[in-house]
Amino acid sequence: MGMLGRIRRGGRAAEPAPELPTRLDIAPALRGSLALRHVDAGSCNGCEIEISQCFSSVYDAERYGVRLVASPRHADGLLVTGVVTRNMSAALLATYEATPDPKVVIAIGDCARDCGMFAGGPGVEGAVHDVVPVDLEVPGCPPTPEQIIKALRQITGR
Amino acid sequence: MSAAALTAVVAVGGVVACLAVLLAPARGRHVLAGALTAALGGIGVALGATVITSGLAPAHLGWLIPLAGVTVAGDATSGLFIVVTGAVAVAVGVYSPGYTRHARQSRASLATVPVFVAAMLLLPLAASVTTFLAAWELMALTSLVLVLTDHRRPETRQAGLTYAVMTQLGFLALVLALATFAAGAHTESFAGMQRAASTLSPGLRAAVFLLSLVGFGSKAGLLPLHAWLARAHPEAPSPVSALLSAAMVNMGIYGMLRVDVALLGPGPRWWGLVLVLVGAATAVYAVLQASVANDLKRLLAFSTSENMGLITVGLGAALLLSAAHNRFAAQVAMTAALLHVANHAAFKTLGFLAAGSVVASTGVRDLDRLGGLARRMPATTVLFGVAALGASALPLGAGFVSEWLLLQGLIHTLPASGVMLALAMPLAVGAVALTAGLGVAAMVKAFGVGFLARPRSDEAANAPEAGASMLAGASIAALACAVLAVAPAILSRTLTHVLTALPATSGQQPPRLGVLLRLPGIAGSLSPALLALALAGAVLVTVVVAGWGSRRRPAPRPAVLWGCGGPALTPRMQYTSSSFAEPLQRVFDDLLRPDTDVDVSHLSESRYLLAKVSYRSVIVDAIEQRVYRPVLRAIAAVADVVRRGHTGSIHVYLAYGALGLLIVLMVAQ
Repeated sequence: MGMLGRIRRGGRAAEPAPELPTRLDIAPALRGSLALRHVDAGSCNGCEIEISQCFSSVYDAERYGVRLVASPRHADGLLVTGVVTRNMSAALLATYEATPDPKVVIAIGDCARDCGMFAGGPGVEGAVHDVVPVDLEVPGCPPTPEQIIKALRQITGR
Repeated sequence: MSAAALTAVVAVGGVVACLAVLLAPARGRHVLAGALTAALGGIGVALGATVITSGLAPAHLGWLIPLAGVTVAGDATSGLFIVVTGAVAVAVGVYSPGYTRHARQSRASLATVPVFVAAMLLLPLAASVTTFLAAWELMALTSLVLVLTDHRRPETRQAGLTYAVMTQLGFLALVLALATFAAGAHTESFAGMQRAASTLSPGLRAAVFLLSLVGFGSKAGLLPLHAWLARAHPEAPSPVSALLSAAMVNMGIYGMLRVDVALLGPGPRWWGLVLVLVGAATAVYAVLQASVANDLKRLLAFSTSENMGLITVGLGAALLLSAAHNRFAAQVAMTAALLHVANHAAFKTLGFLAAGSVVASTGVRDLDRLGGLARRMPATTVLFGVAALGASALPLGAGFVSEWLLLQGLIHTLPASGVMLALAMPLAVGAVALTAGLGVAAMVKAFGVGFLARPRSDEAANAPEAGASMLAGASIAALACAVLAVAPAILSRTLTHVLTALPATSGQQPPRLGVLLRLPGIAGSLSPALLALALAGAVLVTVVVAGWGSRRRPAPRPAVLWGCGGPALTPRMQYTSSSFAEPLQRVFDDLLRPDTDVDVSHLSESRYLLAKVSYRSVIVDAIEQRVYRPVLRAIAAVADVVRRGHTGSIHVYLAYGALGLLIVLMVAQ
């Protein structure tokens, strides 16, 4: 029996996916497949750890059609973490400009939503929505992988 | 016209063209020189074609050279090399008027080109030792004049000196080889020498083989006599570089074919082994040097050495396999070698002509100062791309079919062919494969760094497109590349003639180069034409499908070049030629021996802060350093000793003369 036959007979071996959340009508063109560029705008790296867990073998966000890519030129949207620091605001804006339309911006974590505990800090420019338009926000400090994946599935609809 | 008449036309035409250019007024001189060179090349192609089909009957002109006379004859082997040389001359002739408008070429240099071309066209027809050596020396001397065209630059003078010494040493080896051979055979006509070759003692034949290998190898740029090639070819004006690199080096291969294979052969096995070893070493070493070279023309010159190495591997493999009675594989290897002569001539002519257009437009040869030419010189970029594809031995490139044939010949050695073959052939396959891989890297570097991305200097940023005559000349070569890549079958009849005439490969059905390449006795076939058709079909399907898939695509909008969120990119952030080759340089550190210096100067306040970092890396020819230097030092030491005899006294000199005469009389007794 060939490799292909073995795959066909074996089928998929994975934990059943959690229930599909209702799809948000943010970017209909991106249904099914979403390539994201991650931008750390000034995060403490807590959200990064959770994001990397999303793409680990346990949570496996890729089976819902989400991928992390290495350049905004390849991306459908941005995954922004942390408060936007002064040093990163121009870079965030440039990354947003470099992402082709149609695009989504997802702010991950409390800092990205409303500056969290860093609000009013000397190097802080503001929350993500102060710099670029945000389509979806995931609360939590840090949000759990389940929460992040739920948000992503609301866009991909898978 | 008959072959004899065409030969006379070429010989007389060379002289007349030279005189015409010398006497022409300065204004139209470069156009006249180009037109005459192209015409001479055209006659050469006709001559070669006639010689291939009907041969040139042996003829003896007693009055032309005192004592020995001139003997000419021609067979298909001669014809093949004449056609190749003539075709190169046509492209160069059409190209050169445009080039000489940018880069002034002196009257003497312009007038030498037709003589040089005529010498190369007539050399393969020589049928006696004297004629051969006379044509050879005429070719060497005229090429030296051409290399020294730009003699006001010290680098050119140095290159000319190196070339002069090495070509004359090669000539000396040739004179010794052919004189020994002729003395042993008691005749100096090639026909007589071929008959007498089998009666010579093995030692004498070995000596003739080795000496002639030195002579022909030095012309073909084989290791360790390659050093002149990478110096002289870049320093010559680009049309001349094309003639040197695409036509003259072939004469070294022709010499080996004529003297070592046709006249002296069939030889013992180790001849083939020597050729394979020398060829493989040359190919690998030269392609390594090419991939780390920063000078566009030096890169191409090393690539010439590399390809001559591959051709020599093919020749050697053919001899080796033929001696092992594996005639099928021997024929495939010989076909590969001969086909590669034509292919290499096509893509190397194009390479040097396109590089010449770049030099004429920018005045720069350094790859690190080029770049961004694709926008400024689109036609030249496409032309150089065709040449680079040919040199990288990828499908649809001119060099692909011959290198594929070479690998087929090397792989298909019978298991029962003996220990020597079993050891040599896999190594040769490895060397050829490594050469092909590194060749791709070298050509990607030349094309990517030199023509793509953004300009690295003002010269490159403001380069004008090459003139009409330059584009026309290069297009002729590009056409030849395309035809040879897609339909090598046009050389099929020629190669059959050559293979049946050579003792190493006669007596079998030769490989057929039809639409489908069939190799009798070997399970392997390939169709370059169908491959091209399939690729064109795939491209068409992709374009149609992609166009259909993106039919609702939003209108494009201009955007800033993505610089990872940082400030705008500068040309200094691009790959340079040196940085592209750095990994290779690191891997082959032991062979290349780069001379690298990093100078770090710190701020006076703190050693943790840098003021300046300067990096300098020079790659010198390691073999030149290791082998040539000791020889030159030894010669200088001997010369110092001999100088003590130079007292300036005429009496002592007269005594030397008398002594010399006495010694000659005693030896000749």
